[in-house]
Amino acid sequence: MAESILKIENFTMHYMTKAGEVSAVDNVSLEIRKGESLGLVGESGCGKTSLAISIMKLLPENAVIKGGHIYFDGTDLVPLSEDEMRRFRWRRISMIFQAAMNSLNPVYRVSDQIIEAMETHFGNIDYSEAREKVANLFRLVGLDPKFMDQYPHEYSGGMRQRAVIAMALACEPDLIIADEPTTALDVIVQDNILRELKALQEKLGTTMIYISHDIAVIAEVSHRIGIMYAGKLVELADAEEIFHHPIHPYTAGLMSAFPSIIGPKRELVTIPGEPPDLLNPPSGCRFHPRCQYATEICREKEPEFKDYGSGHMASCWNPLEG
Amino acid sequence: MEEKTKVITKPKVEVILEEEERKRLKEMPLWRVRLYLTWREIRNNWRLFSENKIGLLGLGIIIFYAIMAIAHPILMKWVWDPNIYDPIVGYSYDEVLQPAPPSFRHILGTDPLGRDVLSQLMYSTRSEFALGILAAIITVTIGTTVGAVAAYFGGIIDTLLMRLADLIIMLPFVTILIVLSALFKMNLIILAIVIGILSGFGGTGIVIKSQALTIKVRAYIEAAKVSGGSNWHIIFRHIIPNLMPLSFLYMMFSVTSAIFSEAVLSFFGLLNIRMSWGLMIHTAQTAGYLLNPKTWWLIVPAGLSITLLCSAFYLVGRALDEIVNPRLRKR
Amino acid sequence: MLRYVLRRLGQIVITLFVFLTLVYFLLEAQPGDYAQTFLSNPKLTKEQREALKAQFGLDRPLWERYLRYMGSLLKGNLGISFEHYPRSVVSVIAERAPRTILLFLTAQILSFLLGFSAGKVLAWRRGQAFEYVLTIGGVTLYTVFTPWFGLMMIWIFAYILHLFPVGKFVTPTLWRGAPVDANYVFIRILLSAFVASLALFLVLLATRRLNLALRRGLRGAGVLIILAGLLAYWLPSGITRYALDILYHLILPVMTLTLINFAGMMLLTRNSMLETMREDFVMAARAKGLPDGVIRDKHVARNAMLPVITSFIFSIAFVLDGGVITETVFSWPGMGLTLLEAAVAQDIPMVMGGLVFTGTLALLGHLVADMTYAYLDPRIRYT
Repeated sequence: MAESILKIENFTMHYMTKAGEVSAVDNVSLEIRKGESLGLVGESGCGKTSLAISIMKLLPENAVIKGGHIYFDGTDLVPLSEDEMRRFRWRRISMIFQAAMNSLNPVYRVSDQIIEAMETHFGNIDYSEAREKVANLFRLVGLDPKFMDQYPHEYSGGMRQRAVIAMALACEPDLIIADEPTTALDVIVQDNILRELKALQEKLGTTMIYISHDIAVIAEVSHRIGIMYAGKLVELADAEEIFHHPIHPYTAGLMSAFPSIIGPKRELVTIPGEPPDLLNPPSGCRFHPRCQYATEICREKEPEFKDYGSGHMASCWNPLEG
Repeated sequence: MEEKTKVITKPKVEVILEEEERKRLKEMPLWRVRLYLTWREIRNNWRLFSENKIGLLGLGIIIFYAIMAIAHPILMKWVWDPNIYDPIVGYSYDEVLQPAPPSFRHILGTDPLGRDVLSQLMYSTRSEFALGILAAIITVTIGTTVGAVAAYFGGIIDTLLMRLADLIIMLPFVTILIVLSALFKMNLIILAIVIGILSGFGGTGIVIKSQALTIKVRAYIEAAKVSGGSNWHIIFRHIIPNLMPLSFLYMMFSVTSAIFSEAVLSFFGLLNIRMSWGLMIHTAQTAGYLLNPKTWWLIVPAGLSITLLCSAFYLVGRALDEIVNPRLRKR
Repeated sequence: MLRYVLRRLGQIVITLFVFLTLVYFLLEAQPGDYAQTFLSNPKLTKEQREALKAQFGLDRPLWERYLRYMGSLLKGNLGISFEHYPRSVVSVIAERAPRTILLFLTAQILSFLLGFSAGKVLAWRRGQAFEYVLTIGGVTLYTVFTPWFGLMMIWIFAYILHLFPVGKFVTPTLWRGAPVDANYVFIRILLSAFVASLALFLVLLATRRLNLALRRGLRGAGVLIILAGLLAYWLPSGITRYALDILYHLILPVMTLTLINFAGMMLLTRNSMLETMREDFVMAARAKGLPDGVIRDKHVARNAMLPVITSFIFSIAFVLDGGVITETVFSWPGMGLTLLEAAVAQDIPMVMGGLVFTGTLALLGHLVADMTYAYLDPRIRYT
């Protein structure tokens, strides 16, 4: 087993809003090994993006880290200052953003934006050398280097997405967080890019965290999958395992909410209700108001996040399969 | 983060009708329903507005000057002797030298012609308000019509109106007013009309047109068309009422620019009026007291009043802007 | 690029034509018979009077006079001023325009630079009380009664502090026996400012794609060379003291005009910055580990500048208005003061000339701002 590169321990983060405190990430613990790819799945507003930006410490001003640690390669990132953190960003951990379409600055050439990242982290690099590197990156992500000196608006959606991936690779980071990397694209481009991302990850041995609301997308590219609900990690297991033997009713619900191309035809079932208001999260298990298996204890006590064998972790009082 | 706040923060003002309310409204005649809904909207908007401290400050200044305007005729009738305190023909016999500095009798002193400065200041307030509001109404009436018509019809009408608007906003407004008022003797009403026409066909029209374009494509306009509403019916019954909030907002900015323009013109002595804040400074200038810090009361109260009232309307406009354009609201 | 400029120039000519036509007929409709006033000067003999009438074309019908005026306008002839008789309107403009242009450009550029930098810094550091003070102060400056503000500036800086001269644009005693006239110096000042900024722009452009260290070094050197060039031109020329005298007189009016205009720019920049800061690419820039200053200047401010420039375009007319008022208060003998005097004296040819000049200046300002915008936003190409 490879050594772990990222280890999150009991991490809790709240947003202070006018209406009150929002518990966006609540007591999340997980570990990622070098070269592994982990998928985080959940409905919008469940805290997956909040967790991702917490790892890079790109939190907005009203966010407060209430406790816990994020160890990256042995260093706890939580107490680091903005300046110290800068050395980790992009150089060690980079990110493919949710709105990749808009994460390129419209007024600069794409090549210049990639070179800017290299210049920041590698200091005074030779300009032509940097351009050569950008050209290589472009080839790597399946873009023709002749487009590198164009502006983002001249790119198609898929090209922009690839450019953003190239930019994320620019400083050869150890960990890449891909937050909804393909959501805005049409299905075919989405599929291509996911496949390429997976190939790249295997080729470069980079560690990846994929974030998506679409469990089908995640399953294609991740070794392990974590399910988040209302700021909590409710289930974490190998991709195969979680697909065939989900423990948490929410996981099962998520899976039946998405159509599957392969496999037998079945009816799509949606999970009733809305994600809870995180200003006043429900007592006990946060999923109980929407859970068809909920019992008295679910309302009262929070279930423990425990191992159900061979690293399949979940927190539920009424697990689907023991 | 963005996604997060969207989920949890509810809009401050709920516009959803409760079940009971709906029942109650059903029994009322239509005009009362309209009145009721309008009243409720005003109440809600007031709640939003009152959160904006800067807007309240502006409103406070406006109310202060409104009180001055109302108080003047009352004071003239019962407190002040018209022979002494009349803003135009009064003369203060008690003072030996004119202009006299502030004293108990003349809180802001007298001007070079022996007239009470405070009385002049208060007297002028009324005409400033009248001018500002008249100009604003004309501006917004023209601007709203131009905007709605240009957006609704498009094509050649739109092109012509917008080219004209471009021409007007590109050219220095006050400079043209200076030339016009020097050559044609203008009084306040004519000035208000000229300002109204220039800014109604100019900047205000452009802004309102861009808003009208977003209304034009809404479903109810389509519905009105399908059900056979005539063009003018749609413009006046459906588009213009929905432009009203923005128009009202632009009235505030129009008041600012009207008061400012009037002050500049009367400062140069180009207007045919009896008394105004700008004219007070002009009087000080022609009597040679302009650059004399010792006679500050001839210039400071009037200059400050112009500035304050202009700022006040502008501040209220900005605060309304935050209500009308939710994009500008604080998170 | 060239086609774009030509097309915009064409539009400008048409706009100016429409404007002048409107103004011409408007001035014709004005009630006072200026010509009669001028012609009834008892010093004139009957023959002179007739000759003048023919010269001004006053014996012709309106449409013919209009066509004639437009025709001679094309030839660069704006007629003869009544007030400055027998000087031609063009010669009056040629004398006074540089003074206005210098005042206008300095104030416009300064207020943009100051307002933009202030707005940038303010958006970055936020605080409740601070924001209130800022908004109220900004709006007050923006809506302040310009003539009064100018007077206050004179009171404070000229009367009480004795820092600057009270008005006018030169010190007459210094200029007695000067080798050149004021306009000669004015034009040299304008030219050297233009050349220097062009050179600065070229240096920045040429060093854009170089290594970090080399880029910085060359830019520093470029600035030094430009400064040295300016000194080399001005020091031996012998007119430096006159230029300094003009600049000394320029400070107070420029300060007044800048203060009035920069506040609007500052508030606008701040709002635009706050909106841009929510964009995704700003988050991406932070994630890239860029230093705070770089994110602010290179990513946020650079994008926030675009809407600011759009409204800068609309503020050109506003600044010209402020300029006319400021010139009057400071007795700065430029086009604004000339226009006002001409209007009061009903010197119609001069008024027309003044409006031709003001209109042209406003429209050219637009053209330059439009081109800057198109240059700064790659999404807009010169089409």
